Amino acid sequence: MKTIKEPGSAHSGFSDWYWQRLSAVVLALLLPLSFILLVAVYNGSIDQQGLLNILDHVFSRVVHTVLIFALIIHAYIGLKVILEDYVHVLAWRIPLISLMLVLMSGFAIWWLAMIWAWV
Amino acid sequence: MSVMIKLSVFRHDPVGSSKPFMQAFEVPLLKPGMKLLDALNYIKWELDGTLTYRRSCGEGVCGSDGLNINGVNGLACITPIEGLKQPIHVRPLPSMQVIRDLVVDMDHFFDQYRQIKPWLQAESPLPEHERLQSPEDRARLDGSYECILCGCCTTACPSWWWNGDRFLGPAALLQANRWIVDSRDDATGERLDQVEDAFRLYRCHQIMNCMEACPKELNPTAAIGHIKRQLLSRKS
Repeated sequence: MKTIKEPGSAHSGFSDWYWQRLSAVVLALLLPLSFILLVAVYNGSIDQQGLLNILDHVFSRVVHTVLIFALIIHAYIGLKVILEDYVHVLAWRIPLISLMLVLMSGFAIWWLAMIWAWV
Repeated sequence: MSVMIKLSVFRHDPVGSSKPFMQAFEVPLLKPGMKLLDALNYIKWELDGTLTYRRSCGEGVCGSDGLNINGVNGLACITPIEGLKQPIHVRPLPSMQVIRDLVVDMDHFFDQYRQIKPWLQAESPLPEHERLQSPEDRARLDGSYECILCGCCTTACPSWWWNGDRFLGPAALLQANRWIVDSRDDATGERLDQVEDAFRLYRCHQIMNCMEACPKELNPTAAIGHIKRQLLSRKS
């Protein structure tokens, strides 16, 4: 007979669920903007200087920052859930989630530095 | 010569040393509208008395004969033979420990049901007669109270396959919601506390196998969604 000791509720999980959905809404609104920009460059409506002018604007930088935050939060929670689903050994799960957090934070910092260090 | 039904039935005796295998049987079509349980009964009573499976009411009320039928969970007693591709593959409920042949160990499943405290918890003094409920409040229990705890939904849930030790599973959570929405129950807060957990509740990724599998056509995914919305409204 399978006996499992019941550890009770950890009162967690709500924030992950909430932030994943909130970031999804932000992504759904902001991600298409970058593709519109891309298409505009490809079909020649915007030249390089025009693109730089758009990205350089403080409004664009703020929107870009929000987009990166939403992207990282959404990807982090999504991949964390997958690791929790399939990696059952805590000695693997916790280091993998931590490694993912470090890599993603590094990526976000690098990207934000590019956005804001633009002269 | 009557029409014969071909079946391939899972056999396993963990006490013996033999490995699990699928055994072929041929059963005559006894009557129109014959159900899968009738075929299993025929095998047990006429062909091979060692075939072991659970059954009781034979009409989809007791929830004993939850089986995996051609890859889909359902109750043998209300699954018509007609419409099933032959040979009919009959296996025990997936991801469960087999006790023998088609009988699985349901202890953990019922333990998880017990964890959601499936009984009325009321603070108000016991009235002289029954606790009254308006027809509208009573209607909110529709779609929950019909559950017969056969386990078809929970054992069809991939989240429960991977994390069944912690994720409560669709059947238990459907019942958790049944008590959360019950107007006579005063323990809503504690009930929400009990399930607010990354594993106990939020392992549900809306795969909806539970809804597909349910022989009573209930929707545990919707019930879990309702619990999540209750938690959301409590926090925001």
